[in-house]
Amino acid sequence: MKGTIPLLRLGSTIVATIHTELRDKVAQDFQDDMLTELELRGANALVIDISGLETVDTYVARVLAETGRMAKLMGARTVLVGMRPEIAATLVRMGYAMDGIQTALNLEEGLTLLRRRRREMP
Amino acid sequence: MDHRRYMKVLKLDDAEIASRRAFFELTDADLSRLAALRPFAEKYTDAIVDRFYDLLLSHVETKRFFPDEATVRRVKKLQRDYFLGLFAGKCDAAYVEDRLRVGTAHERIGLSPRWYLGAYRKYMQLIAEHLLDNLKDDAMVRQAFESVQKIVYFDASIAIDTYIAAKMDALERHQAAIRELSTPVIRVHDRILLLPLIGAIDSHRADQIMDSVLLKVSEAQARCIIIDIAGVPIVDTKVADNLVKTTAAVRLLGAEVILTGITAQVARTIIQLGVDISTMHTLSRLSEGIELALTFVDKAIRRQPRRRSGQRAGASSPKTGGKPA
Repeated sequence: MKGTIPLLRLGSTIVATIHTELRDKVAQDFQDDMLTELELRGANALVIDISGLETVDTYVARVLAETGRMAKLMGARTVLVGMRPEIAATLVRMGYAMDGIQTALNLEEGLTLLRRRRREMP
Repeated sequence: MDHRRYMKVLKLDDAEIASRRAFFELTDADLSRLAALRPFAEKYTDAIVDRFYDLLLSHVETKRFFPDEATVRRVKKLQRDYFLGLFAGKCDAAYVEDRLRVGTAHERIGLSPRWYLGAYRKYMQLIAEHLLDNLKDDAMVRQAFESVQKIVYFDASIAIDTYIAAKMDALERHQAAIRELSTPVIRVHDRILLLPLIGAIDSHRADQIMDSVLLKVSEAQARCIIIDIAGVPIVDTKVADNLVKTTAAVRLLGAEVILTGITAQVARTIIQLGVDISTMHTLSRLSEGIELALTFVDKAIRRQPRRRSGQRAGASSPKTGGKPA
């Protein structure tokens, strides 16, 4: 791993906890690390925890949505967890609802959601 | 609010008092002139206050503030102190505070500014009459009267500000109460919230609804929130758009919105306006909304098997609501 965002393996799920702003190089490294991990370990799900982020602008939101789409191309589903209420309000008011991205209240909920989906379609 | 809080609200500090005095041209010369008139004031206080109350007691709307003799005696005494205060030759923070106290008392008993101003007019007339009778020199009368006028107008400015501050304070308290009442988020079940919306929704309230919904969902870590709009008289494009936005934002948090209380009229409006609410869970009745909400937390409402004497429990029970998908 070359980036500053740690990726945690939990079975076939990768958990990324973001607490620094996803700016240029950080975002690039995060995406690279995540894709390498998916390629090498064959994980089928990605959970991105942003409860540590106090602000998310449209750029960061785009990076997150983009990461989700990249993961999807490699056969993994993405769940975004822990978004703060004020961030959700701001994003929606700016017309950026991040359609197509799955969300959950917190990390635990996100993992439960993935487990349930796996049971539904093995 | 007591008068000390008014001092703060109206920012009546030394700088403000100095600024007002400058504008009213209330100079130290005026104050010493007023102080010099003190013996005159003391001599005629009773006469002036009595005639002052003759006016107040002769008018039906001001008379009701003085229901009995005891009250009249008490306020006359206060009035004498107030009157003599004009001739104290001082206009500092203590003076202003004393004037504010009087203004606050008037506001509290509901004596409106028109009676206050009208009564002050009478004061001026009475003072002028007595000055003319006592001071032989016309120039002296004019000077003395000018000084009185200045301090009286100064007092009036404080009194009017007190009235306005009191009204503003009441208005703010009402607005806070309305704000609180406008988004009553209720916890109806474990991790299920309900927001019954009642009354018209303007853009300000719409914003507030979104913020409040998001905050409560996050606080309660709710799986879903039911928004019941049965009590909203008009659902127009703006309201519908806000509901769609709120739904999108709640979804970003990882929860769901269920919209209930959609009447035939509202359904027609929404379709005719062309608002896309396909992303929302919508139902007509709140009870259906609660049932749907329960499925999000893997629960369901089940009919209780009816127990009859001589019959085994559940033997003849109707079909139970099965486990949701």
